Amino acid sequence: MKVPVKLTVNKKPHSIEVDTRMILADMLRDVLRLTGTHIGCGTGSCGACTVMLNGETVKSCSILAADVDGQEVTTIEGLSTSAAQLHPVQEAFVKHQGLQCGYCTPGMVLSAVQLLQDNPNPSEEQIRHGIAGNLCRCTGYQFIVESIQAAAQQR
Amino acid sequence: MKHVGRGVPGLPNRQLVSGHGQYVADIALDGMCAMAVLRSPYAHARIVSIDTVRALAEPGVVYVLTGDEIARETHPIPPAADPGFYGGKSLAVRALPADRARYVGEPVAVVVAEDRYTAHRALELVDVVYEELPVVHDAEAALDPASPLVEPTWGDNVMIRKEFTQGDARRALRAAGVRVVSGVVKAQRYVASPIEPRAYAAAWDPYAEQLTVWSSTQNPHPLRVFLAETLGLAETAIRVIQPHVGGGFGEKVPTFPEEVAIAYLARKLGRPIKWIEERTEHFLAGGHAREEVLTFQAAYEPDGRVTALDVRIVADVGVPATFCGWAMSYVTAYCVPAAYKIPDCRVEVFTVVTNKCPWNGYRAFGKEAASFLMDRVMDRVADATGVDRVEVRLRNFIRPEEFPFSQVSGAMLDSGDYPRALRRVRELIGADRFAEEQRDARRQGRHIGLGFGFELTPEGCSLPNSTLLSGYDGATVRVAPDGHVTILTGVTSPGSGNETGIAQIVADELGVGLEHVRVLQGDTDTCPYGLGNYSSRSLMIGGSAAKLAATELREKMLKVAARALEVSPADLDADDGQVFVKGAPTRRIPFRDVASLVYRHAYGPEASDVEPGLESTRYFRIGNVYHRPEVQGRFSAYPTWPSGACAAVVDVDPDTGFVKVLRYAVVHDSGPIVNPVLAHGNLHGGIAQGLGGALYEHIVYDEAAQLRTASFMDYTLPTAVEMPTCVVEMQETASPFTLTGCKGVGESGVTGPLGAVASAVENAFPELKLALMETPLMPNRVWRALREAETART
Repeated sequence: MKVPVKLTVNKKPHSIEVDTRMILADMLRDVLRLTGTHIGCGTGSCGACTVMLNGETVKSCSILAADVDGQEVTTIEGLSTSAAQLHPVQEAFVKHQGLQCGYCTPGMVLSAVQLLQDNPNPSEEQIRHGIAGNLCRCTGYQFIVESIQAAAQQR
Repeated sequence: MKHVGRGVPGLPNRQLVSGHGQYVADIALDGMCAMAVLRSPYAHARIVSIDTVRALAEPGVVYVLTGDEIARETHPIPPAADPGFYGGKSLAVRALPADRARYVGEPVAVVVAEDRYTAHRALELVDVVYEELPVVHDAEAALDPASPLVEPTWGDNVMIRKEFTQGDARRALRAAGVRVVSGVVKAQRYVASPIEPRAYAAAWDPYAEQLTVWSSTQNPHPLRVFLAETLGLAETAIRVIQPHVGGGFGEKVPTFPEEVAIAYLARKLGRPIKWIEERTEHFLAGGHAREEVLTFQAAYEPDGRVTALDVRIVADVGVPATFCGWAMSYVTAYCVPAAYKIPDCRVEVFTVVTNKCPWNGYRAFGKEAASFLMDRVMDRVADATGVDRVEVRLRNFIRPEEFPFSQVSGAMLDSGDYPRALRRVRELIGADRFAEEQRDARRQGRHIGLGFGFELTPEGCSLPNSTLLSGYDGATVRVAPDGHVTILTGVTSPGSGNETGIAQIVADELGVGLEHVRVLQGDTDTCPYGLGNYSSRSLMIGGSAAKLAATELREKMLKVAARALEVSPADLDADDGQVFVKGAPTRRIPFRDVASLVYRHAYGPEASDVEPGLESTRYFRIGNVYHRPEVQGRFSAYPTWPSGACAAVVDVDPDTGFVKVLRYAVVHDSGPIVNPVLAHGNLHGGIAQGLGGALYEHIVYDEAAQLRTASFMDYTLPTAVEMPTCVVEMQETASPFTLTGCKGVGESGVTGPLGAVASAVENAFPELKLALMETPLMPNRVWRALREAETART
C-alpha cells in the first residue's frame, strides 16, 4: 500500500508516495537518491544510517518513511554547501583522518555534529559516549575522537 | 619536497566524509532487479525437493534459481586456495547445492524480483522439503572415528593434517622432568564485520557480449578469473569493477556463491540485478575465523629459556568451501613458535570440518593464534620460574643479528628487533612505576594489572599453485601531456589508504606534487592485472610495482630534460614539479614542459631518441618466497615479518569479572613508514579488532549447530567507549625484500591484545594463580576463573 508523504529534506520540500513498508533510509537512498546515508545492519545497532530528524539524530533504518510526514530531515549531503566548503566537523575529519573506508563516516559525522551542538566543549569521555551509537570497524575510533576534539577547539 | 614519510590525509577523504563515495549499494541502473537468498535453516539436511511455483506466481517475482540449474549450467567455483595441493582433501563446490545443505545459512535458492521488498517476501514462498541429517558441531568430536561425516566421500572429517618438527620435542620434554608447563589455549570463533555488508551488482550487455560485475570484492582480477571459469565465459567477456569498499579485513577476498549467482542471472535474464547482504546473512554465511584449540607442553630451564615445545592444534573450520579460510589453520601451525627460538619443537595441526559456516580469510589470518599461544607459554614459564614476564620473552627471542632466521616450519623471518620493541613498550606503558600504581589502586579497592603481548604478523602471503595468493603485482604510471600523473594499480584499497601511500611513492619518484597525482584502482578493464588486497601486500608489493614504473618514466624524462638543459641525466634531479641540475637548481625545466617535449615534439632534438609516450607498466615480484618444497614439504610463504610489542593495563572488577582496558601501548615494526598517519590509523583499528577478540566478540553455535549470535546485539563490536586511548610508536627495521623497505601494516595490532589483556587480567590478582587460556575474557569467564582460583587457594 502506498501513502503520500510531504517532507523537507536538506531544506528542499518533497511530496512523494511511499510504500507503507519502506524505511526512511530506503526512501532517502532509493527514492531521493541521497546515497550518503548508508545501511550497515538494518536493526538500529550500527548507526551508519544516522540522519537528523527535526534537528536530532535518528537511525533512519528504524523509522518508517511514512512516519516522517510533515517533518524535516537533514542528511550528510545537506551538511555542507559545496565540495569546497565542507562543514567544520567534516573538515576536521578530513584533516585528522577520522575515517578509513568511509562507510560509517556520514553517520559518525552527524553524531559528532549533534554532540557538539549539545555540548560545545566535551571531554574525551563525553565524546566517546556521544558516538557510542555509531560502530566503526576500521579506525579504532582514536582519530575520530581527535577529529571531534579538533572541531570543538575550532568553534 | 618529499612525500614519503609524511602523514598526509587520505586522498579520498573529502569524497567520503561528504557522503559522496560510491559503494556497490549506491549503484542504480534502469530496470534493475533485486536478488534475495534463501538459506538453509538446518545445519545438515538433504534437500528432498524445491518447489518454486508459489514464489513465481507472486507479482513482481522475475525468477527463482535453484541448485539443479546451477549444477547444469555452471562449473564449480575454483577455490581461492586448494587444500589438495597441500596434501589435504578438496571438494568441488558450486554456487548452490543440488542435494544437500551443510550449514545454517548456506544458500539453497535465489529469488530475483522487481524490488527488494518483493524478493524478500517471495523467499517465504519457495517450498523446500528437507530431511535432516546428523550434525557435526564440534571439531574434537568430529575426530572420533564414530562421528558422522560432513563430507561422506572423505571417509573422515580431517581436511588436512600437517606436522612441522625440528629436533625431538617429545624426547626433550621427557628429559625435562618436572620443568614442563602445559595448557590448553582456546580461541573463539570470530567474524570480520566490515560495516559495509557484501554487495554485488551485475549487468549483461548482449550486444557487446560483456558482463559487468560490480563487487565489494578486495580482488577484482582474481574474481574475474574465477567467474569466467565458473560461468564458462572468456575473461575478456567480464569486467569486474570494485567501487568504494566499506572495509574488507579479508572477508571480501574469496569468490562467494552470491557473486556467481548474480553474475549468472544477470546474463540469463538480461536484467541488471543487485544484491546487498543483510547483517544477519553476514553472521550466518559471510565466513568465520579463528576457532582453534591449541594444546601445548613446554620444557624450560630455571632461567626461563624454553628448550622444547610440543603443540597440537585442532581447528574447527566449518564446511569445506571456496573461501580460503581453512588456510588460516595451516598458518597458525606455520607461525609457531613465532618470535622465539626453541631448539626442539613439534607442531601438529588438524584442520577439521564441521557443519558450521566455513572459515573465511580474516585479518591476522591464523597468525594471532600462534602469537597468543606463545604469549601464554611465556607467561606460564614466567610463573613457573619466577622470572619476570618481559625477561622470559627477552631470553627466548630470536636476536636481531640472527635474521634471516629459518623457523621450524620453513618460514624465513626477514628482519626485526624484538628485544628493542619490547623494552620500549615497557617504558611507554610505565612499567617501572606500575607496582606502586597497583598498590595505590588496591588501597582504593581496585584491581589493576599490567600485561604484555608480542605479535608476529607475516605479510605478503604467497602460496604455490594459487590464482589469488602470490607475491607479485602490477602498476601502470602514466604522465599526461600537461604533466599530471595517473597511477593504475592491480592492488586495491578496501578503505585502508594504500592509494595515498602509492601516490606518495610515485610523487617522490617523479618529483611532482601529490595534488598532481591521481590513483585508479579496482577495474579489470583499465587496471593492470593484479591480485588485489590481502595480507598487507598492497603498499609493499603494489607500491614497489608503482615505484618500478615511476622510476622507468623518471629515467626517460630525465634523459629528455638533460638534452634540453644540455647536461648529463646523471646530473639531474626532480622535485616540486621541476627537473633541475643538482647543485644548480636555477638551471631547470618544469616537469610539465618535459612531458610536453615528449608528446608534442616527438621529432624534436630533445625527445626524438626516446620512445614516444609516457607510460610504464611494471610488475614487482617480492623475494624471500620459496615454493619448491624442501624437507618435510616446507616452503616460505611469507616474505616479510612485521612484529609488535604490546602492553595493556586493565581494571578488573572482582565481583563481576568485568574487564576495563585503561591504557594500551604498542611499539610496532613494519619497516620504514610511507604515511605515518595512515599507518597509525591502521594500527588503532587493528588494536580495536584485537581488543574485540580479547574481550567481547564471540560467534556461538548450539549443539544443533544453530547460530546463536546473528546480530550486533549478540556479537558485540567495541564502541568508542570500550576503546582506551592507545599509544602507538613505530620502530623501523627495513625488510631487505621490498623496494621501500616496508613490511606491511595492514594486519598489525590485531594480535597483541589477546596476550596482553590475558596477561594483564592475571596480573591484577598476583595473589591468585590465574591462568587465563581462553578468549574472549567475558565477565562470566573471568568471574568463574577468579572463584576457581580462590577455591584452589583456600
